[in-house]
Amino acid sequence: MMKKKEGKEKKKAIQKHKASFFRFLKQIKKEFKLLWTDKFNILLALVLPPAIILLIAFTATASSEINPVDCIVISYDSNSFINPNNLTESFEANYTLPYVQAVNQSIYLNPIEPESLFYNASEEIYAMDKARDYLKAGIISIIIVLPIDFSEMLFLGMPGMIECIVDGSNMLKIQDNLNAVLDSVKIFTSENNLTPQFVFQEIEVLSIPSNFNSAFNSIVVFILPLFSFGLAMVLTILVVVKEKPIARLLLTPVQRFEILLSKYVTYSTILSIQTALIIGTSLFQGLYCVGNLLDLFIAMFMLGFTGVGLGLFVSCFSKTKTEANQFFFMFFIVIIVLSGLFIPIDAMPLYLRIFAWILPLSHANPMIMGILTKGNSVFGFDFYWLVGIGTFLFISSFIIFQRKQYEA
Amino acid sequence: MNSDKDIVFIDDLNVKFGKKRVVKNVSLSVKPGEIIGVFGISGAGKTTMIRVLTCQINKKHWTGNVKITGISPEKKKNHPKILSKIGYVPQLEELNLYYDFKPVANIDTFASTYGVPVKKAKKIAENLFTILDIPEDTWKKKLAKMSGGEKKRVSMALGLIHQPDILFLDEPTTGVDAYKRYSILSYLKKLNRELGTTMFIISHDMECSLVCDKAAIMRNGELLEFGKPVDLIASLPSNGTIATFTIEGISKKKIELIKEFKPVVNIIRAGNDVIEILIDNYEKNISKLIEFMLEKKIKINEMSRETATFRRYFQIRVQREEEKERTK
Ligand SMILES: Nc1ncnc2c1ncn2[C@@H]1O[C@H](COP(=O)(O)OP(=O)(O)O)[C@@H](O)[C@H]1O
Ligand SMILES: [Mg+2]
Repeated sequence: MMKKKEGKEKKKAIQKHKASFFRFLKQIKKEFKLLWTDKFNILLALVLPPAIILLIAFTATASSEINPVDCIVISYDSNSFINPNNLTESFEANYTLPYVQAVNQSIYLNPIEPESLFYNASEEIYAMDKARDYLKAGIISIIIVLPIDFSEMLFLGMPGMIECIVDGSNMLKIQDNLNAVLDSVKIFTSENNLTPQFVFQEIEVLSIPSNFNSAFNSIVVFILPLFSFGLAMVLTILVVVKEKPIARLLLTPVQRFEILLSKYVTYSTILSIQTALIIGTSLFQGLYCVGNLLDLFIAMFMLGFTGVGLGLFVSCFSKTKTEANQFFFMFFIVIIVLSGLFIPIDAMPLYLRIFAWILPLSHANPMIMGILTKGNSVFGFDFYWLVGIGTFLFISSFIIFQRKQYEA
Repeated sequence: MNSDKDIVFIDDLNVKFGKKRVVKNVSLSVKPGEIIGVFGISGAGKTTMIRVLTCQINKKHWTGNVKITGISPEKKKNHPKILSKIGYVPQLEELNLYYDFKPVANIDTFASTYGVPVKKAKKIAENLFTILDIPEDTWKKKLAKMSGGEKKRVSMALGLIHQPDILFLDEPTTGVDAYKRYSILSYLKKLNRELGTTMFIISHDMECSLVCDKAAIMRNGELLEFGKPVDLIASLPSNGTIATFTIEGISKKKIELIKEFKPVVNIIRAGNDVIEILIDNYEKNISKLIEFMLEKKIKINEMSRETATFRRYFQIRVQREEEKERTK
């Protein structure tokens, strides 16, 4: 007898869950239909990001047709050294001239004032000041400095050192300028048979290799997090406030969590497609990624998910569309300004730093850059922090939606 | 009272928001298939009462014994059960319809929440659309492009898509012009006849009484009357017979004079040289009233005898309540 009753109850419970799941699926269908009626949103979500990436790629390649970097070489090289064994001064080697020749050969560098070729600082003591003035005036973009022991080190079979002073006013060009210098070093080492002792290795973990388009890469790295997070928020910010028939839906057996969960599922699906499209287009256009692509996908998805969470959270507690839009603007500005993308977080006062550190976007760049340039795994502190924010927003939005007043 | 046979049973319902009592000691019961009109001016508590029946008000705000199809909305876990047996047509279509969808998509969305399979929903919808005269070419229009009347009818169809036992309609005729008002009412009657659905029509528009089997009159949260409209009218003095006079130059003074005549129960309306008077024992007293008026030099141009409409009844009933309050 008891068993029969238990079995019946079990069956009932299963049926209840089945019904709930059916309603949930239908809610997802409704969400997609609603999304589909808003063609502009689809354009925004799925067409705009790849299009912008293509546009960036186009403009970046157009501007990176070899455009030699104006430079000056200043040599402090003593051309002589004291033999440590017998303390006699000798002039065994001079590597300054060969290096300057390499600079002249490089198609990436354009030394100005070719008649003097370089400034010999031991003869012209104001060389550096003059060069700095040129740099300030924008006549040159880089000063290449050969240190005092340049020849000596090379002669002794040790690594030679070059210092570079780069025009930092255009961040996007720094990498290009350094790559140009690298080109001269390559020529220098191969022409002077220094290769054996000069195992030339690009430091991949720190920079974008010269055969990748560095302008494109540096812009894309900057823009990927903005896309994932910003678009997710734009798409979801009105989703709850503008759906008035929710009032009526709540007068059916449908449960509130089914309605909100279906929104999460729908917009996460859109987010995955969007992320795949963004990564695909970027790769196609020469995105340099040392790390695992799946890691990159997970990182961008998680970042976008915090955007979905924040969007739905705001949408749940806003009473009107206007209110939601105002909140969106406020949140977005604060999050962007404190993202570290524009103002370095280290330069902020302590309280702002803490605040920025809590916000999602400040974790985006370290995480994505880590995967792209250092080959890090996605599963680091930044990722778990984003998971934390996402979970917090997810749960809060359900609590708020559960308590939201609806009157039909 | 036998609450088993009643599809809706309310015993001593009280609703309080903070200190404010919005519904006071309301009791009524409804048999299956009846159309109930709930009347009262704005703020009378009509919507609030219906919101208790439709599981929209937290139990902490109300007391009383309420049963809908035998189930109490007291416990939250009963809500889905009740909600699957009732339909609701809100006052505003925008709360009920996805304007960017066609009717079919709306039907699909709402039918699915009740677990009605797509095919069955389609069949039910076709039947409803036929009853409601929604032509096939309208089915393919987005709701946003439909006229007000069409939207209202689709909204009514949505309320019935899961074949509920009871349909609640909040102000279905408010803001609708006279011609459409009648057509909505006749559609409701038609639905009630063909489907046997019990209906609650909330309205401050007395015309709805035309289709009601019973009318509930509410004022300040109290249920003043509950009964068949004809019975209510007949309960008036002289079975609701009203004397209408056309008089030259109506003034306050003249009205006061008429009121002095003992059998006069109520001056229902005065203005535009017309005065409507309710008197006790019409047959016996009407000639005396005329004599009285002539005596007081009130010149009568015309007179006629009418039976009170439900609108007049409502007015008299509410006036009486107001007077009672004043004399208190
Ligand atoms: N949630 C609420 N909180 C406080 N007061 C309310 C609430 N809902 C309704 N009321 C008040 O109850 C009264 C009756 O409202 P309602 O039932 O909507 O009247 P009706 O539908 O007859 O116009 C109104 O005075 C209204 O202000
Ligand atoms: Mg109302």
